[in-house]
Amino acid sequence: MFLRKAKNAGLLCVSVLTALGFIPSAASAQYKPKDTEWPSYAADLAGTRYRPLDQINASNFNDLEIAWRIKTDNFGDRPEYKLEGTPLMVNGVLYATAGSRRAVIALNPETGELLWIHGEHEGKRGGAAPRQLSGRGLAYWSDGKEERIFYVTPGFRLICLDAKTGMRIPSFGENGVVDLKMNDDQEIFPDLETGEIGIQSAPVVAKDTVIIGAAFREGMTPRSMRNNKGYVRGFDVRTGKRLWIFHTIPKKGEFGYDTWEKGSAEYTGNTGVWTQITVDEQLGLVYLPVESPTSDFYGGHRPGNNLFGETLVCVDLKTSERKWHFQLVHHPLWDMDISSAPILADITVDGKPVKAVAQPTKQGFLYVFERVTGKPIWPIPEKQVEVGSVPGEWYSPTQPIPSKPPAYSRNGVSIDDLIDFTPALRDRAKEIASKYHLGPVYTPPTVSKLEGPLGTLTLGTASGGTNWPGGSYDPETHIAYLYACNACVEPIGLVPAPKEISDLNYIAGVAGNEVQIMRGPGENAGADSPKPPKKRTPSQYVPMNVDGLPLIKPPYGTITAINLDKGDFVWQIAHGETPDVVRNSELLKGLNIPRTGQETYNVGTLVTKSLVIAGEAQVTTTADHPRGAMLRAYDKASGKEVGAVYMPAPQSGSPMTYMIHGKQYIVVAVSGGPYSGEYIAYTLPTAGE
Amino acid sequence: MSRLLLMGGVAVLVSSLGLLRAQAPAESRSVWDGVYTEEQAKRGEAVYQKECAPCHGDMLTGGESAPPLTGGAFQANWNGLTLGDLFDRIRKTMPQSAPGRLTRQQDTDVLAFMLSVNKFPAGKTELYRQSEMLKEIRFESKKPAAKD
Repeated sequence: MFLRKAKNAGLLCVSVLTALGFIPSAASAQYKPKDTEWPSYAADLAGTRYRPLDQINASNFNDLEIAWRIKTDNFGDRPEYKLEGTPLMVNGVLYATAGSRRAVIALNPETGELLWIHGEHEGKRGGAAPRQLSGRGLAYWSDGKEERIFYVTPGFRLICLDAKTGMRIPSFGENGVVDLKMNDDQEIFPDLETGEIGIQSAPVVAKDTVIIGAAFREGMTPRSMRNNKGYVRGFDVRTGKRLWIFHTIPKKGEFGYDTWEKGSAEYTGNTGVWTQITVDEQLGLVYLPVESPTSDFYGGHRPGNNLFGETLVCVDLKTSERKWHFQLVHHPLWDMDISSAPILADITVDGKPVKAVAQPTKQGFLYVFERVTGKPIWPIPEKQVEVGSVPGEWYSPTQPIPSKPPAYSRNGVSIDDLIDFTPALRDRAKEIASKYHLGPVYTPPTVSKLEGPLGTLTLGTASGGTNWPGGSYDPETHIAYLYACNACVEPIGLVPAPKEISDLNYIAGVAGNEVQIMRGPGENAGADSPKPPKKRTPSQYVPMNVDGLPLIKPPYGTITAINLDKGDFVWQIAHGETPDVVRNSELLKGLNIPRTGQETYNVGTLVTKSLVIAGEAQVTTTADHPRGAMLRAYDKASGKEVGAVYMPAPQSGSPMTYMIHGKQYIVVAVSGGPYSGEYIAYTLPTAGE
Repeated sequence: MSRLLLMGGVAVLVSSLGLLRAQAPAESRSVWDGVYTEEQAKRGEAVYQKECAPCHGDMLTGGESAPPLTGGAFQANWNGLTLGDLFDRIRKTMPQSAPGRLTRQQDTDVLAFMLSVNKFPAGKTELYRQSEMLKEIRFESKKPAAKD
């Protein structure tokens, strides 16, 4: 056993190598990942989550059994119940982030044996981070001799490790670390220790550049219209030197600055790229899915269209020069972000080959562009949308709406979307909905009033459609597979922000309720605790359900297969067992309700040679299985379910697959509720077992 | 099934007679048996709003990255387990910025508030404050069938 501690700027790192000499070396020639490996977060830099493996298939999926499992409780000073990672498997080793410390672990991919572990002890800086816990993953790089692992700590430091030992590589940055709060063309305020900026997604390594975005706290109720900005940077994979930076909020004199009226580009923050970045290494182009600017639901302090908020931006891999951009939502007001990796797809449209990029979204539109020029494959005309009446707000009169493919999940609320198992339930739902403003996609938020509306009832916003797990794509058949939440209803109301809470005119809230600063998991809740609640009246509590049944009618969660050559649906299915609350409801006794899927927004899919594989993100207890969730496999051609395997807890990170020594494995992160984080590897029984 | 129903019947009878809860067969109790008081839930609401609502929402409906503490998915998560399991989860990991910062009493009160929001009935005695004892109370999302 080998243990070493290193000090860096007062921060402690620990690497432990548990089985020296066990780790294979990369071949001496330039290392080219094989299609039996999973070398980056989304399988490849194209964001496909696809591997052409077929040992596990429709005929045997039900035979899968657990090859190994690893709990992540001890990779941090407390267990984690929100394990979202997708491991890598490359050159015979499986790497993952794990635990509340966001440790990096290297495992034997056949047995799960721990080869090494690396952890960074960041003290207050880690404790104050806006995005804590284990994150979504890491990146691998090799030149054929050296192998490196990159990840970003909760405290926003880029760490470069020797993939063989888990030790920092001293020649990278300062002793293996690049402080991402430095050299960012802005001064992170209030200070480096507590300044709000971080990231939970996996770094991307393309050619010899490591690309890192930025994330912040939840943006519904910010304390200020001023915040740090989420620029994107590229670093030299060998030295850690900053190669470029892209200003997601343009600086004065840069293109797009004038889309921030009244000088609002100077103080507005956020607008980072918190999700996965996609790269076409051949073309040397990077695709940046940029999130919302400061204040998710109120933009009165940032008049204008706000480039590059909620914009897909294509930049040069070497220089970050902007090649093209397309703003999906002008003057964002719905927290639509762009929440997942763009998908690169070489398709055939009207008989002609096209290099395309397809962007899944929370709003359920799949935006498809020619990826060199940014020209939409199918027209995306500007259409008039409702202009709201929130005092001080600035509204875009139009929004771009794709003509093709059709929206693959609900993105507005009408009476027809409400629960309709029985007329009585529909009536109850109408009563609830009557307290809100309803409308199609891009119906703006309202000021919350006791006499109504309490807000705008929305679908396809904060947690709708496709979120961070993103979609999958089969490069052989040109079909994209997109999970979406169809029923993640979000009431968006605005209330005047008390000056002691925020300097914004309005923040998210409900009339009559105490104004609260909403926090993400793990944020420091000590110093500025909100005031004690005022007495509330029962009338202000409006549940988004009818006797526990979802307010919105099924399907609650779907997987849609979309042919990108044509822009048409191939199939759409409800994904996930009907929730217990629906299946067991006394109100629905005697009704024959087909599988509804589940109201969950964080399901990732995996595509193999013949299957689409996705777990459930909600627990059920049925006659067929005890309390748990199922990892389901569908025939990718038809959407027909062909198998399911039991998981003790919901899928909380997207599944991945690899093959080693003739055996295919599927690894998935599970956690949630009573179940702390665990990676589980499934494989087929060896013949004769 | 019949055994469960019978035991549930005993619990109701004991409760209605106002007997000490310790006299009820321990394994017979579930969240449907009035295991907390309204007063306790009110205390718990005050703690919840200060300590929990910033992430889980003031209506327990969850935030973008914190799960709801009411509704079908929440209840499905805990169905078949015990209040001790749920209490341990709170004690060990919440509030996330400083787990264990709250007292047992505060955590128990929050648990009572969560039960009230989830529409489990209040009773005449407060919740136990020890996990081992709370493990005797089953979390059942589905209301048991009517008892004779």
